[in-house]
Amino acid sequence: MSNEAVLHDNHSHEHAHHDTFITKYVFSQDHKMIAKQFLITGMIWAVLGGFMSVLFRLQLGYPDSSFPWMEDLLGKWAKGGHITPEAYYALVTTHGTVLVFFVLTAGLSGTFANFLIPLQIGARDMASPFMNMLSYWFFFAASIIMMSSFFVQTGPFSGGWTAYPPLSALGDASPGSKSGMDLWIISMALFVVSSLLGGLNYIATILNMRTKGMSMTRLPLTIWALFFTAVLGVLSFPVLLSGFILLIFDRNFGTSFYLSDIFVNGVGALPNEGGSAILFQHLFWFLGHPEVYIILLPAMGMVSEILSVNSRKPIFGYMAMIGSLFAIAILAFLVWAHHMFVTGLNPFLGSVFVLLTLLIAVPSAIKVFNWLTTLWRGNIRFTPGMLFAIGFVSLFISGGLTGIWLGNSALDIHLHDTYFVVAHFHIVMGVASMFGMFAGIYHWFPKMYGKYLNNTLGYIHFWVTIAGAYMIFWPMHYEGLAGMPRRYYDFSIWESFKQFQDLNRFISVVSIMVFAVQLLFLFNFFYSIFKGRKVTTLNPWKSNTLEWTTPINPGHGNWVGEIPEVYRWPYDYGKDGVDFTPQTTPVGEEESQH
Amino acid sequence: MSHTATHEAHSGGGTKEIIKVTIILSVLTIVELILGFWMMGITEPGFRLAIKGTIVILMMAKAFYIVAYFMHLKHEVKNLIMTICVPLFLFVWFITAFLYDGNSFKTLRNRYDKHFKEQSTIKVPAKAEGHSEKKSAE
Amino acid sequence: MSTTTTATTTNLWGGGKSPFNVEYGKLMMWYFLMSDAFTFGAFLISYGTIRFSTNGWPDPNEVFRSFPFAAEGVHAPLVFVSVMTFILIISSVTMVLAVQAGQNMDKKAVVRNLILTIIGGIAFLSCQAWEWNHLFHEGAWWGRNPFMNADGTASSTNFTNYFFTITGFHGFHVFSGVIINIIMLIMTLADKFEQRGHYLMIEKAGLYWHFVDLVWVFVFTCFYLI
Repeated sequence: MSNEAVLHDNHSHEHAHHDTFITKYVFSQDHKMIAKQFLITGMIWAVLGGFMSVLFRLQLGYPDSSFPWMEDLLGKWAKGGHITPEAYYALVTTHGTVLVFFVLTAGLSGTFANFLIPLQIGARDMASPFMNMLSYWFFFAASIIMMSSFFVQTGPFSGGWTAYPPLSALGDASPGSKSGMDLWIISMALFVVSSLLGGLNYIATILNMRTKGMSMTRLPLTIWALFFTAVLGVLSFPVLLSGFILLIFDRNFGTSFYLSDIFVNGVGALPNEGGSAILFQHLFWFLGHPEVYIILLPAMGMVSEILSVNSRKPIFGYMAMIGSLFAIAILAFLVWAHHMFVTGLNPFLGSVFVLLTLLIAVPSAIKVFNWLTTLWRGNIRFTPGMLFAIGFVSLFISGGLTGIWLGNSALDIHLHDTYFVVAHFHIVMGVASMFGMFAGIYHWFPKMYGKYLNNTLGYIHFWVTIAGAYMIFWPMHYEGLAGMPRRYYDFSIWESFKQFQDLNRFISVVSIMVFAVQLLFLFNFFYSIFKGRKVTTLNPWKSNTLEWTTPINPGHGNWVGEIPEVYRWPYDYGKDGVDFTPQTTPVGEEESQH
Repeated sequence: MSHTATHEAHSGGGTKEIIKVTIILSVLTIVELILGFWMMGITEPGFRLAIKGTIVILMMAKAFYIVAYFMHLKHEVKNLIMTICVPLFLFVWFITAFLYDGNSFKTLRNRYDKHFKEQSTIKVPAKAEGHSEKKSAE
Repeated sequence: MSTTTTATTTNLWGGGKSPFNVEYGKLMMWYFLMSDAFTFGAFLISYGTIRFSTNGWPDPNEVFRSFPFAAEGVHAPLVFVSVMTFILIISSVTMVLAVQAGQNMDKKAVVRNLILTIIGGIAFLSCQAWEWNHLFHEGAWWGRNPFMNADGTASSTNFTNYFFTITGFHGFHVFSGVIINIIMLIMTLADKFEQRGHYLMIEKAGLYWHFVDLVWVFVFTCFYLI
């Protein structure tokens, strides 16, 4: 039972000999190739999702202008170069779904869990490479089905990414509620299967397949973060699946789990009675809140690692970092109803959720202060990856602080469903995790492809993105405080919101600029894969972790010969005057204890 | 990966234990059924609630025996037991919050939804034939 | 810091082997079952939530009171479902015996007990099919509820909605468990496990089967007893 590593050893060598194009690039069971597949699929989705936001930002910024090219592109969805309200809602919904699930869940933890777990814990591959491959292909199928919902007659689902009934339960509720929603549910169900297969694999790999000497307290923080991410996914996605199964029955088999008495003008009373729409929201947010941390934790882990490597200092408070990750993971399951303060939730229950929600500030603050103290007096190298990591900390602080506002049920009555919420979650969850993802890509690109990304383009990418992110979302706080509701198609018909017309236009212009800079990053990415500067040393960042002990372009099986043994934690930077001491260096006799 | 090592690691109580657990499970089920039959004749709500509580406790006991002995969890390494049992405590708040809010929703509807309140006071005549027809019209 | 902490913990966690002394497949099966427990948990908790937010609820003893081959008007509450429960418990016992036989490399006993388990599973599914069919002929289905509340008022369709959804989902699990066991049986007969030198696959199939039994404990209590 203890010989898994040996078994895999044989297994992987066997494979290395007869790789065809199909087994190497398409149905690959190599975790590194699967990671790249996740990354590139995620990038395609990110571009599509970002482009959708440009389209609806144009509507919000220029409600009176018309864009003839839009009609060429979208056809009947943009008659006269003017996006229709139905298309607007479909775009908002798909933008949310795609970015939350496909980019920041599958694209982020799919990429980095697959890539980093075996490399950093010292394993030849995942526990089950086959399941790992299935995980990607389920995600791929989910992607195709989600994509196909753009091409059905009535368009994609348009009731918001949260899919609340009755918009999602009654086929006639909105144009996308029939076939658009069918495809949406099927796609999401496949996505749940994909994340379950992936998550089980990550957990089993981290627990069972660590190399000799790699005890749990010698794991890099990336691995700890990915571990808790996988646990969150495995325990919370099934609840969403149950919620969806009940929803499917409501849609197709005449049940009323989520539907109470509904009277439709011109149709009369629907036969449904006795259900509760709040139940769906409970089930959805029981996943939905852990989902926020599924998105955020991998970014936190990677940022911890990158900050430490590039400050040439040990991470401050390693155990506290693990403890706070654990606390966040637990609390993630206990606070879901803070999304539902104004639904008719019991106010007393709401106050308990306020308390639990505000508790999250404690582990979050521990993490922030540990990052800052890691930077403190460090010998900082401002690589693009490091800049994105610092940017993550900045965004996490500014977005996290508004979370304390929104966590109060009394304040939330005013702020709920306004642009304040949009600003909050885009900064803390969307852009911050994006920054974690960028940091990870810049940092591990040399390991992925054996090339460097272009630094100048990286700096331009960083500065425009962080300035743009703040310019887009900072003003939204003021709009939200003034009561401007989210998800509205056109604000120009209200006297009270007319004052924000210029501001909205400004936000739209900046968002187009930020989108353009992401295309620059894409260019950098694909150009560097083929034409980038070659990596010539094994350990370009002078890092301690195990992935840099593999060859520059590791094959399937990662290490040639024995897997190295580990003797120390991964954060011995600047110890006893030595710049860095890799994990594989045995502890010397003279060495001081830390 | 030798077979003997596997066996030693999982050595449980053997066949004797299986028989013992089977008997315990059967007895618990029979007690549950007896309580169920007994409850049919009782109308007093508090008493019924007490019996239902007892049945739930018996249910947990059955679950314990299945997981601990049939699924062999009791003979695993302690840390494995912990990683499986600790996350189950999430169910405490999961159940509490959901049921509490469900109950609150009932109170809310009874107070503000006249139709809902009315429905729950009208007795259905005989075998509720009309009711089922109305539903099947869907 | 790390050196001091690792020194105190046992070398189980030191890397290079499983800290739980189990192979990854079994670990994955356990965590998959955890995940599935949350699926069923969510179903049953939704059922509880709806029941708590509804004024009346049908009396299970009035609904589930029939028995196959008995006269139409017979009033035999809890009898049929007890039979189903015992079938599942006994099939669980035979599965444990199969797992144990596998640990002793006793192929004959594995085959015998697996066959018994499969028969138990099929018997349970047949019982459920009969019960569903019977209820369907009484007018119950998704979105249709012929029964009235215990206090004689009109009942919400959610009683039958949840009953069919949850027992259906459980039945689906029993069905896939039977399929898995049949595959295990074929693999045993083909000497796959003898060649491998261990019957660990049977243990994993056993975990799944017991989980199905475990879920029935909860479904049985929630729908038929309270």
